[in-house]
Amino acid sequence: MFKGIFLGLLATGAMLSSQPIPARPEQLSFPPLTFAAPRTKDYVATLKNGIQVYLAADPQGVPFVRLKVLIKGGRYLEPKGKAGLAELTGSQWRLGGTLKTPAEQLDERLEFLAGSISSGLGDTSGSLDLQVMEKDLKEGLDLFMQVLLEPAFAEDRLVLAKQNALRSLQARNDQVPAIAGYQMGYLLNGEGHFTTAHMTAASLAAITREDLRAFQKRVLHPANLVVAVSGRFEKEAMLALLNRTLGALQPAREAQASPKVPVPDGVRTPGIYVVDKDVPQSMVQLAIPGLRRTDPDWHAVVVMNQILGGSGFTSRLMKKLRSDEGLTYGVGTGFSPGTYWKGDFTCSLQTKNRSVAYALDLILKDIDRIKREPVSDEELKVIQDGIVLAFPSDWSNRQAVATRFASEQLAGWPVDWWADYREKIQAVTKAEVQRVAQTYLDANRAVILVVGKAGEAEAGDEKDHPGLLKDVTKLPLKRLPLRDPLTLQPLP
Amino acid sequence: MIHRNARSLAVASMAVAVLSAQTIPVQEHTLSNGMRVLLVERHDEPTIAAGWVARVGSANEHPGMTGIAHLFEHMMFKGTLTIGTRDARRDAELNVAQDQVQVQIRQELDVLREKQRRGEIADLMDPKARTPRLQRLLGEFDGLVKEQRALIVKDELDKLYKQAGARGMNANTTSDRTFYHIDVPANKLELWAWLESDRLKNAVFREFYSERDVVLEERRLRTDATPTGKAFEAFQALLWKAVPYTWPVIGWISDITQLNREQANAFFATYYAPNNLTAILVGDFQSAEALPLLERYFGRIPANPKGVPQVITQEPPQIAEQRMSVEVEANPMLVAAYKAVPGVHKDAAALDVLGAVLNGQSGRLHKSLVLNQKLATSAGAELNGMKFGGIFYLEAMPVPERQPEDVEPALYAEVEKLAREGVSEHELQKVKNQVQAEAFTRMENTGRLRDALAEAEGAGTYRDYLEETARLQAVTNEDVQRVARTYFTKENRNVMLVHRKATPQGGK
Repeated sequence: MFKGIFLGLLATGAMLSSQPIPARPEQLSFPPLTFAAPRTKDYVATLKNGIQVYLAADPQGVPFVRLKVLIKGGRYLEPKGKAGLAELTGSQWRLGGTLKTPAEQLDERLEFLAGSISSGLGDTSGSLDLQVMEKDLKEGLDLFMQVLLEPAFAEDRLVLAKQNALRSLQARNDQVPAIAGYQMGYLLNGEGHFTTAHMTAASLAAITREDLRAFQKRVLHPANLVVAVSGRFEKEAMLALLNRTLGALQPAREAQASPKVPVPDGVRTPGIYVVDKDVPQSMVQLAIPGLRRTDPDWHAVVVMNQILGGSGFTSRLMKKLRSDEGLTYGVGTGFSPGTYWKGDFTCSLQTKNRSVAYALDLILKDIDRIKREPVSDEELKVIQDGIVLAFPSDWSNRQAVATRFASEQLAGWPVDWWADYREKIQAVTKAEVQRVAQTYLDANRAVILVVGKAGEAEAGDEKDHPGLLKDVTKLPLKRLPLRDPLTLQPLP
Repeated sequence: MIHRNARSLAVASMAVAVLSAQTIPVQEHTLSNGMRVLLVERHDEPTIAAGWVARVGSANEHPGMTGIAHLFEHMMFKGTLTIGTRDARRDAELNVAQDQVQVQIRQELDVLREKQRRGEIADLMDPKARTPRLQRLLGEFDGLVKEQRALIVKDELDKLYKQAGARGMNANTTSDRTFYHIDVPANKLELWAWLESDRLKNAVFREFYSERDVVLEERRLRTDATPTGKAFEAFQALLWKAVPYTWPVIGWISDITQLNREQANAFFATYYAPNNLTAILVGDFQSAEALPLLERYFGRIPANPKGVPQVITQEPPQIAEQRMSVEVEANPMLVAAYKAVPGVHKDAAALDVLGAVLNGQSGRLHKSLVLNQKLATSAGAELNGMKFGGIFYLEAMPVPERQPEDVEPALYAEVEKLAREGVSEHELQKVKNQVQAEAFTRMENTGRLRDALAEAEGAGTYRDYLEETARLQAVTNEDVQRVARTYFTKENRNVMLVHRKATPQGGK
């Protein structure tokens, strides 16, 4: 069969190879590629108890079925003194077995079927996931429903999970990114917010199997669930199956629709904060208050961010800090979409201790420049074209689209927000880029964190780029102590 | 021969649907200059996962120039005679001028190295140790860099791809191969062919010397500033005596700081000739259009009739168990590494199956060490089959009240049991079910398929990958028992014990 094709090819090949190769890639021309943004209505259905399901049926595809039940609920619902409960409930929901099928039997059966069920809960949401071969769907879904509705939270598995959790607590100060993670959280959201109510050895010890049960029962409410399902099935048959299973779920007495996610109090103290850690390379992070994705400024902010630092090698910061100066393997910026409260502009890089002051100075200069001067026509066009033309590859995998729609619904984003995304990106002007830079890049409001060898970072690079860290900005410089990994109390 | 029979038996017993799903329709072609091309059409998304692999890695280096394969990978993004500069002629002159200053800089560094050897300075790269001449040369060099920078079109390759809607441009280097990849919109195949064949034909390694600093930062990020990075690097050096896997892919610091453009040019001429490369396309294109296009663009790169020097050195048999104990700021861990076989070796499939029997929530290690004996919080096993050798790793993390030494005998007991008693019918079937399911996933993701084909071409041929499922399905209990007896011997073993270093801020 292939033989015929190859013969044909050779003939065309001989013809085409006489075409000259243009001197520059801009001289190439390409056939148009049209792509319509996927719409929610083509994916969504509602089960009889009101749960929304996003389906991506692929009856000719590979013989798998993947089911994801997204759950609104997580760390923000933990009672005081029980930090870690969401994480443990999330993992043990599946790993602790079910009332009918003990953990060991469940592990064995799923792995024999080459399938999997997994579960987890994060800050504000989590999920239970099933993957099985199409032929095992009935058995797989039965096991999945057992896990969802009747988890056993086996005591011996909980002991093991607590040992694992203790191990990860012990590693809290081992790596610079982990230290920066918890320190930046305290600086941005304060001590009282759920995002900084981290697990400690004491809170871990206080968590009981009863707590896990109660937490699971609380969040298992149809109002908290959104479903995505993809793989080899017929849409109607799958809907009928889901209606018999997930659609039959009624809220138990203990179940509650998860409340609103609490917002941090907003009190921050701008400054440069330095945490001492004996490593040859520091992590530098910077955060400035930003906006939510639903803000009308968002599209201009996306373009501005990509020009400044959010598009890898094409962004100004990467060109300056990596290509020109060899200061870092990578520097990047981003605006978080602010699901429940306004997000932040963040910038992060790692550089040798003595280069910290110089690198930070260069970053702040570029932040200043994008506020002061309009970007070039070419910079604007490269970023706009790139976002618009890459859109099809971001949105063409139907399985990923179903999951994305489901997560967006759970988080409460507007339906079909992406439908006119390309048009809005294309409409952003140079003046808007400059205006949003001025609005959202107020360096006087920056919280800057350096984790590394403090003395070296503060002294700067006296030989090649002299300048002390404290002189890079007018913001005050303050040393912060590491925290005890098990209690999170500041160390002396 | 026995294997071939077993394989066809296994295939024959499978259902028709299974067979069709497993057959990945790879079209293989060789261009006029010897460059290989693999094409897989897949039309459900309007993108193409594109890439090419060079059969060269850190195993082709030697002491004094370790890290060049990886630094070279970075240099391939710096442009060509056309891309990345406004004035190719002046750019070339400035490169020559820079290289001349670098020769003098290296002479000064030779002086400093001698001082360091005599203990007069601690570190020849410390700015404070610079001689006045070195400081002056660095200033002179900096001037040349600044002049060149005015002519450079920064990261133009990335810009051209980005503006065209391409995603995920990157490359990576291992001991055995270097792989360059990107996802392009389905209508931009010719752009990819233009840019990739241009950098294979007309590459210019500008900004060479500042890129060494980038690599040093990358090394700090991956190795020097992580708690276990240097420990694993030292363990690697302990494992291999002769095969050039002893040094890290990223290179020793002393070598990275002295690499120069002349070495990069020679490296390029030797290892990046078309007969040492394979291009791979997976996605939404028509082969009948793609093949002539590839011939037109990549076929213009001159062939290298000399071929590529082979890696000759082989590892002598290990004569004794080697042990290493390290205290770092990390959770305690035990790593036992057995010298095994390259990934393409006929015993690799049985070792993979053996690993699968040990792994997983229902695997032997988890059941025995974690659930029953309560010695470890997790444990795992894996064959890392590289091109010129392989290591079978056993790993375990002890529970908080235990030390790595405590889990060691229990870990060995499991492989000894496998050698003694083999595996059960049920365990073998479970692994084979997983192998079968995995085979279906291979066509699901264009990027993953491209990467897997490139990996296989880097170490052997893509057929090794296509036939892997059948090889694994053919493994018998006897095979598993035999490889357990052959490779899991004490004198074949290397052990690293990781203990937590006591610090005021560390975990207990």
